[in-house]
Amino acid sequence: MTMSDDTRLAMQGTIEALTAGDGSEPVVVNLGPQHPSTHGVFRLKVTLDGEIVQDAEMRIGYLHRSMEKLAEERSYTQNIPFTDRIDYLAAMSNNLAYCLAAEELLGVEVPPRAQAIRVMFAELQRVASHAMANGTFINDCGAWHTPLFHMFRDRERVLDMFEMTCGARLTTNYMRIGGVAFDLPDQLLPTLEQFLADMPENIANYEALLLENEILHARARGVGVISPEMAINSSLSGPVLRATGVPWDLRKANPYCGYESYEFDVPVGEQGDCFDRFLVRMTEVKQSLRILRQVVDTLPDGPYLADVPLHARPEPGESYARVESPRGELGFYLVSDGGPAPYRFHCRPPSLINLSALKEMSIGGTLADAIVTLGSIDIVVGEIDR
Amino acid sequence: MTTQYDATAAMEIVNASAPGAACVDEGVLYLEPDTLADSIRTLRDSDQSDLVFLSNLTAVDHELHFELVYHLQSLDLNHILQVKARISDREDPALPSLTGVYHGAHLQEREVFDLFGIRFEGHPDLRRMFLWDGFPGYPLRKDFLQMPGQVRAGLPGFPHESEENAWPVPGSVPQRPLHPNDPQPEGEIVVAEESEDPS
Repeated sequence: MTMSDDTRLAMQGTIEALTAGDGSEPVVVNLGPQHPSTHGVFRLKVTLDGEIVQDAEMRIGYLHRSMEKLAEERSYTQNIPFTDRIDYLAAMSNNLAYCLAAEELLGVEVPPRAQAIRVMFAELQRVASHAMANGTFINDCGAWHTPLFHMFRDRERVLDMFEMTCGARLTTNYMRIGGVAFDLPDQLLPTLEQFLADMPENIANYEALLLENEILHARARGVGVISPEMAINSSLSGPVLRATGVPWDLRKANPYCGYESYEFDVPVGEQGDCFDRFLVRMTEVKQSLRILRQVVDTLPDGPYLADVPLHARPEPGESYARVESPRGELGFYLVSDGGPAPYRFHCRPPSLINLSALKEMSIGGTLADAIVTLGSIDIVVGEIDR
Repeated sequence: MTTQYDATAAMEIVNASAPGAACVDEGVLYLEPDTLADSIRTLRDSDQSDLVFLSNLTAVDHELHFELVYHLQSLDLNHILQVKARISDREDPALPSLTGVYHGAHLQEREVFDLFGIRFEGHPDLRRMFLWDGFPGYPLRKDFLQMPGQVRAGLPGFPHESEENAWPVPGSVPQRPLHPNDPQPEGEIVVAEESEDPS
């Protein structure tokens, strides 16, 4: 136990002693729907006893766009742009998961070059998304915007690469059923080489700034702790699950798009607290860069899109495809009745399901800790509400 | 690589503790809705199946019945099993909640309740999640918001395929009443007359 932990516990003890048995009533505080810590329109209703959270209840739905219903009226190809809007910070991963599910339904074989390009963009998206997640998490911890904008420099360069490849920065709509929409432009690989050359120094800078930072340790160590058993039982996935020490990564457990041919490690945490989640994301960025290096070195030639009819009618059946998105296990469950549009289109949203244990993580901590915990889960409200 | 867990093996595990609670049809495991939670608890706790992780929980409206679809995953043995349950009551569909087995079922069951109107008995906090209380109907049901003239919502077909699949000719489908925000028909739009130059 570090000195900062001692200090924090002593403070909690003081607060509890001050508020116990004095006849005071709990106070209900609404965080959100418009609140800087909620990363979108998300409302957390906390019941406070002094500074201690007694109950936390989330109210969601402010961004519900009924995508699952809309998708039942559009063809399989027309649904790809919807998946961008589900998780707008990891559009490539969402495109990929949906296309994998549709390909399973249609029985499409994806060319090797398309698979390598998909891995390249999924990992670039992970770098960009983790930059956002870690930056806003540090923001929630109180480091007002300086680390965030350092990390945004990296994210900006990734988005520039997206723009030069598919013309869009956030809602990319780049993957297609059977491959990707466009081949790589000539200037992409030199830009990516430069990015890969610059990133190790940037990450070393972040680590020097943040990993030994006493304020960050005081704010995030031992906060929002969850045990591995509870995390598995609550269906948590992604960095939130791996921070508890469970090495569950779908890129290893169920490789797709040729992930089995790349060497990378699955970073895990030890204590399952907010700091471990932050650390897992930092380490994952390094592993993503490692994968990107191998993809660039072994990029095969050939077609980038299989010959799939734009108006495809799959046989009746169903498919469930999952990818490891930056936020966790992202799945698409499609049911076909032989028609031109999916009979049922369901997204398994990691952001929503990772909130399953938010109440358990927050209760007993202070209100400020609850905000740090929420930031460490890395939610995207578009994906929660869909 | 994640393998598919054999549905017949899973059926034997369930039926060993509760005979008749599971059956296999075309390679898919169907569970009796009444004993669903107990059957899935058996599958979770058995060492052979070890399905400790609820990956996905959703429902499909097949018009004659609702189908609940569960994807259960074993992290140590790395296999996945798809489990289904059918309920045919459309007026008040209900089945046992899985919240006692998997804490992660909490939000996913609320979502199914919100969008399909399927009640989960034993759920501690079954309220609408995305839509507000009092929202009329359950949007992901196939009979939600019938188009006028019994035209089913959905994509009828691709225009090039055949005449009967072609897009409806404008005017052939009865129009829904105009909303005040819709563009109004021409001729009724009141255009403000240009005022004379005040100078």
